[in-house]
Amino acid sequence: MEYLYFLYIELLHKYNLPEFIGMTTFPLLPFCVVAVALILVVLFLVLMERKVLAFFTQRKGPNRVGPWGLFQTIADAIKLLCKENITPTGAEKFMFNLAPLLAFVPVMVIWGLIPFSSEFDFMSYSVSALLFMTIASIPILGILLAGYASNNKYSLIGSFRAVAQAISYELPLVFVLVSVVVLASSLNLRQIVLAQISVYPFCGWFIFPAFLGFLIFFICATAELNRCPFDLPEAESELVSGYNTEYSGMKFAFFFLAEYAMMFIMCAFMATLFLGGFLSPFGFYLSEKFINNTFWAQISVYFEQVFWLFLKTFFLIFCMMLVRATLPRLKSNQLMGFAWKVLLPLSFLNLFFICCYKYFIYAK
Amino acid sequence: MIKKSLKPFRDIIALALGHLTVFKHVFKKPVTLEYPEKKLPLNDKFRGEHALVVDNEGNLLCTACGTCQRVCPSFGTIEIEKEKTEDGKFYPKNYTIDLSKCIFCGNCVQYCPFGAITMTKEYELADEKKSALKLDINTLKKNYSDSIIGERDTSKR
Amino acid sequence: MTTKNKLKINIGPQHPSTHGVLRLVLELEGEIIKSCEPVIGYLHRGMEKMAESHTYLQYLPIVDRIDYLSGFFNSFAYCNAVENLTQIEVSKRSQYIRVLTMEMNRLSSHLLWLGTFLLDMGATSPLFYTFRDREVILSLFEELTGQRLMYNYYTFGGLRHDVSSDWLDKITDFVKIMPKKIQDYENIITNNPIFTTRTKNIGIMSKNSALQYSITGPNLRATGINVDSRKTIHPFACSPIQLIYPELDFQIPTAQNGDSFDRYKVRVEEMKACLKLISQCVDWLKSNSGEVISPIKQPLLKVPEGEFISNVEAPRGVCSCYVKSDGSTKPYRVKWRTGSFYAVQILPKLLENAFYPDLMAIFGSLDVILPEVDR
Repeated sequence: MEYLYFLYIELLHKYNLPEFIGMTTFPLLPFCVVAVALILVVLFLVLMERKVLAFFTQRKGPNRVGPWGLFQTIADAIKLLCKENITPTGAEKFMFNLAPLLAFVPVMVIWGLIPFSSEFDFMSYSVSALLFMTIASIPILGILLAGYASNNKYSLIGSFRAVAQAISYELPLVFVLVSVVVLASSLNLRQIVLAQISVYPFCGWFIFPAFLGFLIFFICATAELNRCPFDLPEAESELVSGYNTEYSGMKFAFFFLAEYAMMFIMCAFMATLFLGGFLSPFGFYLSEKFINNTFWAQISVYFEQVFWLFLKTFFLIFCMMLVRATLPRLKSNQLMGFAWKVLLPLSFLNLFFICCYKYFIYAK
Repeated sequence: MIKKSLKPFRDIIALALGHLTVFKHVFKKPVTLEYPEKKLPLNDKFRGEHALVVDNEGNLLCTACGTCQRVCPSFGTIEIEKEKTEDGKFYPKNYTIDLSKCIFCGNCVQYCPFGAITMTKEYELADEKKSALKLDINTLKKNYSDSIIGERDTSKR
Repeated sequence: MTTKNKLKINIGPQHPSTHGVLRLVLELEGEIIKSCEPVIGYLHRGMEKMAESHTYLQYLPIVDRIDYLSGFFNSFAYCNAVENLTQIEVSKRSQYIRVLTMEMNRLSSHLLWLGTFLLDMGATSPLFYTFRDREVILSLFEELTGQRLMYNYYTFGGLRHDVSSDWLDKITDFVKIMPKKIQDYENIITNNPIFTTRTKNIGIMSKNSALQYSITGPNLRATGINVDSRKTIHPFACSPIQLIYPELDFQIPTAQNGDSFDRYKVRVEEMKACLKLISQCVDWLKSNSGEVISPIKQPLLKVPEGEFISNVEAPRGVCSCYVKSDGSTKPYRVKWRTGSFYAVQILPKLLENAFYPDLMAIFGSLDVILPEVDR
């Protein structure tokens, strides 16, 4: 990080700019990178979802705009941008406009908490795992506001369901997170990843001691993201489109972006916690083997770490899409029962097991 | 009791089977038909746009008897102007079919005593003007010659 | 809004799950449905009145549009009534072809129901699989009749034209691959715990109420009453086609509880029975030949004075057609009785104190088609 800072200052010196400018603008740069990267990822993710679902159902998916439909999402985004911003009569205007932002901004922020490689993470705190969970639950407030402010019964029911769902699924999620924290003895996400290094390739990943926890986490993350089979808040056959029924144009796009960005981030978080994050599954980095120059090898290791993280993330996203393609939607009371009667006791069991494991294996 | 305790496992197996079945379809060929470029092959019985049959000498087989009007379930679709030649035969001076009223049931083709009307394979009939959907006798004749050649100029209607 | 605790919701007439233009006025208390009032008639086209201004033949193509997913059944019911009034003999081969096409139609109709029902429940991919298979049937129909949904294939006393042996071969191929596909749907959904908990013991229709509301078809058979007008010849309507069904070997699937899951199960089993019937018909048609073209060639048919009700077991219950003739070329009165109409009437009873998400599980499983309700 310091090295990058010096490079940046030097670059500014070349153009005769004072160091003061560098000091103030440098912290902003990661945010720019984050924002652009996130939007690019989301654009790709939407296309991927449509393509993958198409493959599951023997279709071709979008293939009209650009090669393999690569620009389809961009075309859709432009369409949404050009649309009229409609605020329904009777809506709480301020809250109606605030809700999409409230859903979108926290997603942008937590994206920076994920450790992409062993050196570069945009925000690294000693309690970043906790911070992640805290900020990740803010978007639900946006959804609640959206449902309340829309002056639409479908939206209201949808947002109530979303909140009830988020609250009940947050608990097992946090208990599983605690078990991972116990395993890693740290709340820092980078430390959690580094704790998964072992002598043998990928044997140290936390998915092996905490497989049950991983499953619970996967289910709860799906519920947190309001994805099928937990997509009750926007169950189209009951609630038309749930909380975003009244939204159109750019405001709808914000919800849409937030949803997909959150999906990517949740999966990246899951990969970080359970699948060794940016660690290579071979136990060594490919670029270390193939590039002789030490300086470039080091640089490319960072990129390779990003690549591994993305690979694991996309694998998890693919699993989520498979689940979405297969399962029918749960019922609201069934959903609550599942969270409180099945997942919560199981997450306790998982925590208990992990503590025993830690005590007997690591305590020696 | 045992049956009940085994239920979670059976559920998990059922879920896994479902996911596998969906996943299996990734390896199958897509069934999408990219419509404007590729079209389904149509067989001869297809009921599309109408055509009046013309014999080898270029005369219409139609005798303006009006049977098609009488079997048509949608009133006012077919309009015939009847005329008599010098040798006493009836022929249609004008014969219009309003495609915006037609329901493409094929009754007119089925019950025509002279086999004077057929249906082509043309089904892209949308147009901007309603008047373009009114086919007069010349269009109907042209439809027939086009359908015999098998190709139609769809760009202009 | 009667009390302040109740939330009144209008589902439809334009709603993604009502399969057409049905309007349901629901009163919710939390997520529990307190009352439901179906409002029908948005798709009323005056099918019955229309008959009085059309000749018998002119009315025939319109009949297909009563239930656009199973047009063959409607046109059979109407043709059969007119044939019985005019005492036209229908040849055996054309009767077999009618049974074959009707069973295929039943299969395609059930496939569409399965896909949309599961889509209502939230499972997306079975929709595409069922539509893929339905597409095969529709292509076969298009090859036979010239159109995909509005067939207009039956005429009084026979059919428009004979089937070709190529077409029969294609059906044989289709029947061979279809059981595997049905197995696929069952793998995805039948034992799925989410699906079973959502449908089992939901929307229970008792034998008594089913009979009171004169529910027919798979909805009735799911309650355990084995009534199928294919097997049991109705005393009022001794249709000639019912002479064919006893020659064929098939089982009528029934269930016990009458809940949503049983309705699902009965329909899936019925699809398998359809395949069995289709292959038997194809075998008969391949080995026997005969005349199918109707002896009646004149477009203006004069029907002797009288009245007749013909019954046919359509995919959504008994479809019966009452034709009264005053001896002229136009029917004096035509009355339709279709299964979906009665299924909508029992909906408020089934939805009482159900959860709001159960609306889809119940309404979807009843298999209601709105054009058939409103006519």
